[in-house]
Amino acid sequence: MIPLSYYLVFTFTLFIIGFYCLATKRNMIRLILGIELMVNAANFSFIVFSSYWREGFVDPLAHSFVIVSTALVGSVTAVALTIVVYAYRHYGTLDVRELKRLRG
Amino acid sequence: MTIDRIGAAGLVASLCLIAVLGVFIAQNSFPAFLYAPSDKRLTSVTQPVGEAESNFMWTYRNTDLIAQAFVLFAAAAGCLAILRIEENQKSEAG
Amino acid sequence: MFPLPLETLFLFVVTTPFVGWLLTKKNRQNLCGAYTTFGLIISGIALYNLFSQVLDGNVVSDQQTSFAAGFRIDMLSVFMATIFIGLGLLVAVYSIKYMENDTGTMLYYTLLIAMISGMVGVAFAGDLFTLYVFWELMSISSYVLVAFRKAEWEPIEAGMKYLIMSAAGSATLFLGMSLLYGITGTLNFQSLASALATAGQNPWLSMSFLLILVGFGVKASIVPLHTWLPDAHSAAPTPISAMLSGVVIETGVYALARTFFSAFVSFQVQWSLVLAVLSIVTMTLGNITALLQKDIKRLLAYSSIAQVGYMLVGLAVGTQLGLTGTTLHILNHALMKGTAFLCAGAIIYRTGTRQLEDITGVGRKMPLTAIFFAISLFALTGMPPLNGFVSELTLFTSAVQASMAWLGLAIILNSILSAAYYLQIIRVLVKPAASSEKLEKLKETSFVMLIPICIMAILIILLGVYPDPVLDLARKAAQSLFTIGG
Repeated sequence: MIPLSYYLVFTFTLFIIGFYCLATKRNMIRLILGIELMVNAANFSFIVFSSYWREGFVDPLAHSFVIVSTALVGSVTAVALTIVVYAYRHYGTLDVRELKRLRG
Repeated sequence: MTIDRIGAAGLVASLCLIAVLGVFIAQNSFPAFLYAPSDKRLTSVTQPVGEAESNFMWTYRNTDLIAQAFVLFAAAAGCLAILRIEENQKSEAG
Repeated sequence: MFPLPLETLFLFVVTTPFVGWLLTKKNRQNLCGAYTTFGLIISGIALYNLFSQVLDGNVVSDQQTSFAAGFRIDMLSVFMATIFIGLGLLVAVYSIKYMENDTGTMLYYTLLIAMISGMVGVAFAGDLFTLYVFWELMSISSYVLVAFRKAEWEPIEAGMKYLIMSAAGSATLFLGMSLLYGITGTLNFQSLASALATAGQNPWLSMSFLLILVGFGVKASIVPLHTWLPDAHSAAPTPISAMLSGVVIETGVYALARTFFSAFVSFQVQWSLVLAVLSIVTMTLGNITALLQKDIKRLLAYSSIAQVGYMLVGLAVGTQLGLTGTTLHILNHALMKGTAFLCAGAIIYRTGTRQLEDITGVGRKMPLTAIFFAISLFALTGMPPLNGFVSELTLFTSAVQASMAWLGLAIILNSILSAAYYLQIIRVLVKPAASSEKLEKLKETSFVMLIPICIMAILIILLGVYPDPVLDLARKAAQSLFTIGG
């Protein structure tokens, strides 16, 4: 098997790419994609661990976590996109840096 | 082309963080399942995994599945609440 | 299959839209709130049944194996669930009058009950993943409730900021959970406690600790992650602000306590120092920034951040007395902050403005509201015959006993600092202002909105003068947190 540390490096790289996308991008829809990337990094890590317990066996517990988590992320994305629709109606732009009327 | 300062700073910070975490992962080996209490439930990959997985989920993790159904209900109610029409809403162009 | 309070709450989640639709046909939408109140009363009665079962330290658990999803109800869970359902009940009664001019109130009440059931599920969960699923239920309902009055720009901007930060926190939490799963192969609290009891300090356990702290800390508004809170709490409709400040933040503190004292007990000495530093920074920043605010809801929101800092002191100390102080402060903060926000909402409902300089002298026209507001503000300062004093004294004593006297000193200094802005509100309310026709037309708060405020103010005084029963319950709740490995 490929050593576990390669998979862990990939997980954390994916997580940091998602966080970079969340922190620096301007378009609000890209922020939502960044959140999905972060959760997918965690899903990936669950699946990797479930296959690494013993050679030739998987752990169904981790798979059930991932299945439920995918549905949860879908719900959060749906609500987020609805709020983005209204943010576009109020501000006229999808640029998240324009949402700066509330400060201090 | 103007360089977006926040973007550039974020890129540099992310690359540094990935390098630091790479070093961390290389130095400290992961104690995979070192403290695991039991492993009676593992399923072999030679048989169809989907069927066994679905049995496992419905037998042991039914609470999570039903709670997830309520999360979907709450998300649907939430989207309806935000998209509701008020009487004095101006008609939008497209 | 679910514990009875949770089942009744879910039943009402599903039937409230239907009842609301029927009432809308007959044009009597406000009665939807009465249906919601009825549902919360029934689940409160079911909770009392459960309370008598766990009173002697028993644990009600329906998990057959260590990897099955299920509920694990002990005294701390019932204590937290009582606070959630109690405050939810009073907020639902208050919303009947406050939200009468809004559209879509049936969805508002549905989401309110969904949020309460998510929180009760978090309190009852026996498995870290079940906690995560109910956590998402609570979060999604609260995102929508913050952005409920979507016709104005402020709730939408606050809701967007809150959603992005909170969803990122949930993703971080999920990654931390995956690392914990990789080390032990299970996410059950009991199995985690027994498996990791002697693990010592492992860099991967510390990494998982950090990620879970960030994940729950976003919701509990620990300092570098608190920036969503002032905007969300001031832009939400006031009953929801009371719920968010009063109980949703405390769900974060509860989840932190539950996870840290079951999975990470082995290196408690190291992380208690981290939590102590974070609590001092949180308290100080919350109090100092609150001094500069001119908007009454923003000021109360910043004071919530400071109160979370007090609760973290109890977690950092980590002894039974410290956890008793945290648990008691959770109850007291829900009462005090709930009363303060509901009174502020009553003033906003009558005057239509949130700025402190525009509500000068309102106290003379609305005397009952001003009296209850003053009671809650004195309690927040920590003045002796009221309940804030009891919990802060417990936290201070526990810090001194655990030889962390600098934490106790920080609590006292911050209480004195916070008195400055709490008393400023009272001064603004009673200062005689130049009479304007707007002030002349003010009437006292309506009766339906005054009932919950009055009940909570009476409880504040009662729990301050005679705290023994509640102190005993809080002690038993803290005790149950330590017996999780057994």
